[in-house]
Amino acid sequence: MIFIVSTFLLALVTAVACALPGVFVVLRKSSMLVDGISHAVFPGIVVGYLFTHDLHSPWLILGAALAGLLVVAGAEWLRTTGLLSGDAPQGLIFPALFALGVILVTSRMSNVHLDTHVVLVGDLNLASFDRLTVGGVDIGPSHLYVMLVVLTLNAAFLAALLPPLTAATFDPAHARTLGIPVTGLGLAFMFLVSVTITAAFHAAGALLVIALVVAPAATAHLFTTRLASLIGWTVAIALLGAGAGFWLAFASDTATSAMMAVIYGALFLIVLVATRRGSRRHRLR
Amino acid sequence: MTPAAFLSDHTFVMVTAGTTVIGGVAGALGSFAYLRRQSLVSDVISHAALPGTLLAFLLLTALGRDGRTMLGLLIGATVTGTVAVIAANAITRHSRVAIDTAMALVLSTLFGLGMLLMQHIQRRPLPGKGDIQDYLFGNASTITRADLTVSLAVGTLTVGVVAVFWKEFAVATFDRDLAGLLGFHHRILDPLIFGAIAVATVIGLKAVGLVLMVAFVVTPPAAARQWTRTLPGMVIVSALIGAGASALGAYLSIVLGPVPTGPVIVLVLFLVFIVSLLLSPRSIVLAAYRRRRSPALP
Amino acid sequence: MIPAAEVRGLSVSYQGRPVLRDATMTVPAGVVMGVVGPNGSGKSTLLKAMLGLVTPSAGEARFFGSALPRVRQRVGYMPQHTAVDWDFPTTVGDVVLMGTYGRLGWLRRPGRTERDTAARAMESTGIGDLAGRQIGQLSGGQRQRVFLARTLAQQPDLFVMDEPFQGVDAVSQQAIVDVLHRLRREGRTVILVHHDLGTVTTYCDHVTLLGAGRVISSGGVDKHFTDSHIAAAYGLAR
Repeated sequence: MIFIVSTFLLALVTAVACALPGVFVVLRKSSMLVDGISHAVFPGIVVGYLFTHDLHSPWLILGAALAGLLVVAGAEWLRTTGLLSGDAPQGLIFPALFALGVILVTSRMSNVHLDTHVVLVGDLNLASFDRLTVGGVDIGPSHLYVMLVVLTLNAAFLAALLPPLTAATFDPAHARTLGIPVTGLGLAFMFLVSVTITAAFHAAGALLVIALVVAPAATAHLFTTRLASLIGWTVAIALLGAGAGFWLAFASDTATSAMMAVIYGALFLIVLVATRRGSRRHRLR
Repeated sequence: MTPAAFLSDHTFVMVTAGTTVIGGVAGALGSFAYLRRQSLVSDVISHAALPGTLLAFLLLTALGRDGRTMLGLLIGATVTGTVAVIAANAITRHSRVAIDTAMALVLSTLFGLGMLLMQHIQRRPLPGKGDIQDYLFGNASTITRADLTVSLAVGTLTVGVVAVFWKEFAVATFDRDLAGLLGFHHRILDPLIFGAIAVATVIGLKAVGLVLMVAFVVTPPAAARQWTRTLPGMVIVSALIGAGASALGAYLSIVLGPVPTGPVIVLVLFLVFIVSLLLSPRSIVLAAYRRRRSPALP
Repeated sequence: MIPAAEVRGLSVSYQGRPVLRDATMTVPAGVVMGVVGPNGSGKSTLLKAMLGLVTPSAGEARFFGSALPRVRQRVGYMPQHTAVDWDFPTTVGDVVLMGTYGRLGWLRRPGRTERDTAARAMESTGIGDLAGRQIGQLSGGQRQRVFLARTLAQQPDLFVMDEPFQGVDAVSQQAIVDVLHRLRREGRTVILVHHDLGTVTTYCDHVTLLGAGRVISSGGVDKHFTDSHIAAAYGLAR
């Protein structure tokens, strides 16, 4: 497979894999929690590396995902104490985890080449480097298949659990009376988000993954509230933004993930202005 | 290490003094972010600061001055940080997008913009350009006397603004509608409050980096809230916790070190928070314990 | 006599749906104007749009002949459910004192005069002994009285109240009624969104009936609060 095409595919698959769960992240108002998770990924990877000494080990993904889950579960626990206001619970844990990660990196691993730049910002080209060969044929970057698996997991989770997840999102109290395990379902969902983010960091970097998760759904939400339509448009916008971002970055020789984040932001702005203008016209009629 | 040896080392004193100022100011202003239920604006401001500092750097360099003057970078970061918070709130007011989503969008878009700018700068032979590492992790040991002076001056000015506009800040934070009705227009007050919070956040970015700076703004108020019932009390206690934890953390990072200072302070802050949560008068843990020890009278 | 409030063609839309349509209402000085109507008829929205708390899509409101920004000191608002964090670290006294901030304007600090005004406002609503209590420790009725006291401390000529009696205990209800009577005696004007049709004529001498976002009738209770008006507002068959 040609390098540029396979890298392009990786970008698209990563975008959709992140945008799908993003629909519910936006609906559950957990967008900033996702930001916290992406920052916690770093120490998770560090700890995973300390155990495996292998930057390509799948244990790294697990370690990072668990760190993310710690942020989610911790934030939920803090919220339930009733002693904290607003979004403070979400901002108390991830910096401490990040601090731990930094201390561990500088003390134990100073002779190790853990390119923090790549970890936090990602590099699509680097992620496409390792190829997967089947029977001597190069069928693309191995990371592409990792992301395809993640995408399938997310799609399967949503397909199987759409009704209870929707109920739990819109009215948790009512959902509980129906016997839906609201808290457990929420944690399972956020764990999946955590795994997605960790897998995606390789290409997009922990810091820009949040754009991939939140932006498409947020943009679609501006003009539709019906769930099926929302999911459909989210995927479409994810593909559009990733595609445009990829080729613009290619043409201008700039970082792909950074360009994608900016393109998503611009898309959101365009749709925001368009929907406002539309509703204003409607009102004056 | 003896206190005398500690105090005679220029770097140690700079690091401790610098981080103490950062901690105190962030703690004080963080209270208002906390009470607006938007502690995480600090995260938005931190990320938005990147394009701000880079634009300031480019502007200063274009004007023929030293691109890395602390004050210039501070102003750039504060401007983009304040604009970011205003933008996030504006998005929420004018659409069905919730505040957390708006914050995440603004944060990632501006940071992406910053990354692109950074790449652009790296490619040009400009003097004094830095590296993304410094923004993400900070470097407390590079605090110079000039940096300390600027931080102290700017920090004092910001705290001064809070003192002068105390009643306006209090009303706007407690009841936004009332503030508007009383004539304290949000178009003046919001930029003032957001700007102050932004300043408090950006003065620490060089020393501790953008991720850890969130802890400086979020943790002291969360801890202080467990001990006080009044607004002035909370702001003061929060500032003291921020300053105290910073001083202690800086000291520990040096004597137990060399360990990077920012992370140690954040861990100290976290510990103080946990202790506050568990042992303060408001603590539910303590309340449950007391209930178990002395059963209700018949 | 300049009316205390005059509303002309006020309309409000929420996400494309009209919530208030072309509302027109005149509130003469010195009356107690009740705003009544079924749920969703736009009562709260009318008040909020008048005060600029929500942006109207059309129309205007004038107070004592001027636009609101010019006469802010003379208009006080007691909201129904405030977007207030009851866990906020502040005391009853502090909240009531905030009512005096309008007269101080920017930068000036509250002094002796303001504290006395606040103290008197707390006495007249029966919460004088709660001055040092943190607001999170109050009952629903006490909280309502705190906001009443805050509005009193502002010493406005026009009181705008959104369902002050909703879900309030007997003691607080009496306190609010006492304040209403006092305001009437002092010749101040009151606009009061009220939920209970049965007691409208007890408290109000004027009424504005709303139905489905439109003003059905507005004026003195004897002429504008008839059975047919009520039926029209509540969509009841005759």
